[in-house]
Amino acid sequence: MVKTLSSIVRVLSRVMYSIAGLALTAMMLLTVADVILRTFKRPIVGTYEIVGLLGAVAMGFAIPQTSRVHGHVLMDFLTTKLPIALQKVFLVLTRLLGIAIFFIIAWNLWVLGSDYVRTGETTLTLEFPLYPAAYGIAICCFIECVVLFIELLEVGKQETET
Amino acid sequence: MSVATISILVILLLFVFFLMGLEIGFSMALAGFIGFAAIVNVNAALNLVAKDVYAVLSSYGFTVIPMFVLMGQLGASGGVARNLYDSAYKFIGHIPGGLAIGTVAAATAFKAICGSSPATAATFATIAVPEMDRYGYDRRLSCGTVTTVGTLGILIPPSVVLIIYGVLTETSIGRLFLAGIIPGLLVAFSFAATLLGWSILNPKLGPKGEKSTWKERFASLPPVIWVLVIFFLVVGGLMQGFFTPTEAGSVGTFAVLLLTLAKKDMDLKRFVKAVSDTLRIGCMVLMLLAGATILGHFFAVTRTPFLVASWLESLHVDRNIIIFIIIGVYLVGGSFIEDLAFLILATPIFLPVVLKLGYDPVWFGIIISVVTMIGVILPPMAINAFVVSGVTKEPISTVYKGIYPFIVGMSICLLILVFFPQISLWLPNLFMK
Repeated sequence: MVKTLSSIVRVLSRVMYSIAGLALTAMMLLTVADVILRTFKRPIVGTYEIVGLLGAVAMGFAIPQTSRVHGHVLMDFLTTKLPIALQKVFLVLTRLLGIAIFFIIAWNLWVLGSDYVRTGETTLTLEFPLYPAAYGIAICCFIECVVLFIELLEVGKQETET
Repeated sequence: MSVATISILVILLLFVFFLMGLEIGFSMALAGFIGFAAIVNVNAALNLVAKDVYAVLSSYGFTVIPMFVLMGQLGASGGVARNLYDSAYKFIGHIPGGLAIGTVAAATAFKAICGSSPATAATFATIAVPEMDRYGYDRRLSCGTVTTVGTLGILIPPSVVLIIYGVLTETSIGRLFLAGIIPGLLVAFSFAATLLGWSILNPKLGPKGEKSTWKERFASLPPVIWVLVIFFLVVGGLMQGFFTPTEAGSVGTFAVLLLTLAKKDMDLKRFVKAVSDTLRIGCMVLMLLAGATILGHFFAVTRTPFLVASWLESLHVDRNIIIFIIIGVYLVGGSFIEDLAFLILATPIFLPVVLKLGYDPVWFGIIISVVTMIGVILPPMAINAFVVSGVTKEPISTVYKGIYPFIVGMSICLLILVFFPQISLWLPNLFMK
């Protein structure tokens, strides 16, 4: 059960990460193309907006995978000096706190996305809708909750093994 | 409960989260959320969290961060650093400590296209340490050198730290970049002087290498020239207002990509790795910024920065002393938390103080960058030292022994920069009125 969940999350995180990578590459290429075309007085209209949205996808969609490879900085000089049992307690507590904040973020981003759908809010020049990015990041924050939940389960697993 | 009590409780809570080992960005977001909910109300706090996260992630202004990180990662994965090292080595390899001084020179040039500090430390640990081993250099000196040179990118544009400071404080990134050039060269010079002095005092530490002919020297120059061309394209375009910072980063990234492709140092696998590393680093930084934004909104309703500013003002001491207190706070805070995370956390609180004292925010950005440079190699929390220790398989204590002499030189540079702001401000005032 845990194994299935963890492999689903692994695949999902990697898919999101790949989308993020494509968005980052697209950001660079689009900006360069705009700069080059601009010198010929043919700028790509709306580059500014699209780059902002692509940036949101690049960074937002990278959240779960960054967490899986322990890319988010934390302070470990105290916890690593504690007895193993206490380390596990802290690990459980911090995972729970992490789940809490990401649940709050995910849920409210979803609400924000729904607001964007209802009000039909778009970018200024291209009138590109804002809700897909908000929903997308909300989904990634939900995935992040599951990533942290799996870390939590793994603490328990280690305990039963020892 | 009064606002002041809530502020203090939230700050305590934040440190409890840090100490427990909750990710720093998440800690700031959670503490900010709790504080905002306590002072305003829960619904406003829920709304704030989503809006802040979305605003930080989708802001055009913040896209500059992953762009310049990508430029550095591409530069690090291609063979640019090796070419630069070969060239520097041919020019100064034959003087005492020459291979180490060559590392400083190559890293200074390399920093012009790569802003990441641990990536540079890792790159040069792979390239320069084996070469110094070959000539019998002491491992303390070689490891100390590669650890320290990585920090140059914090000051030399396109520095990711300066970019983050710029977006955080709404200071012109172009001005910050220009301001970083002379101090960056000054610190690089202090590294070279430290190495030369150290090797003359104890010639066994850094023996002389082979002397190259002038023909070999000139033949090694083209990659150096290309790096300088990219540097002037990026910084010049930004300075002239031709590029936004994101555009400068994109154009620079594309130019580095073309350079590494032309030198056959780039393939799809390396490109994917560079993009993947960039996403991880960029996402980490953006999460810190999102957390700091939420916490910052809490501090704004409590007027904490204002209170800190008026308290420091009420002390009636010389403004230089206040600057040194702030520097001390950054060094201590940075060594406990993590230098970049602490910078993101503390700068919005201290900047109003600095402005109130009549200092230039560009100058303060440079000072904080030098402090961060010292912070990232100052034991016991020196990320660069861990990276180098990992690459060279040398115990961390040996690496630390090689770092101390450089810290002396850096501290002297810091004092010079504090007392002579014109060193930092001359170039931006000259070119960007």
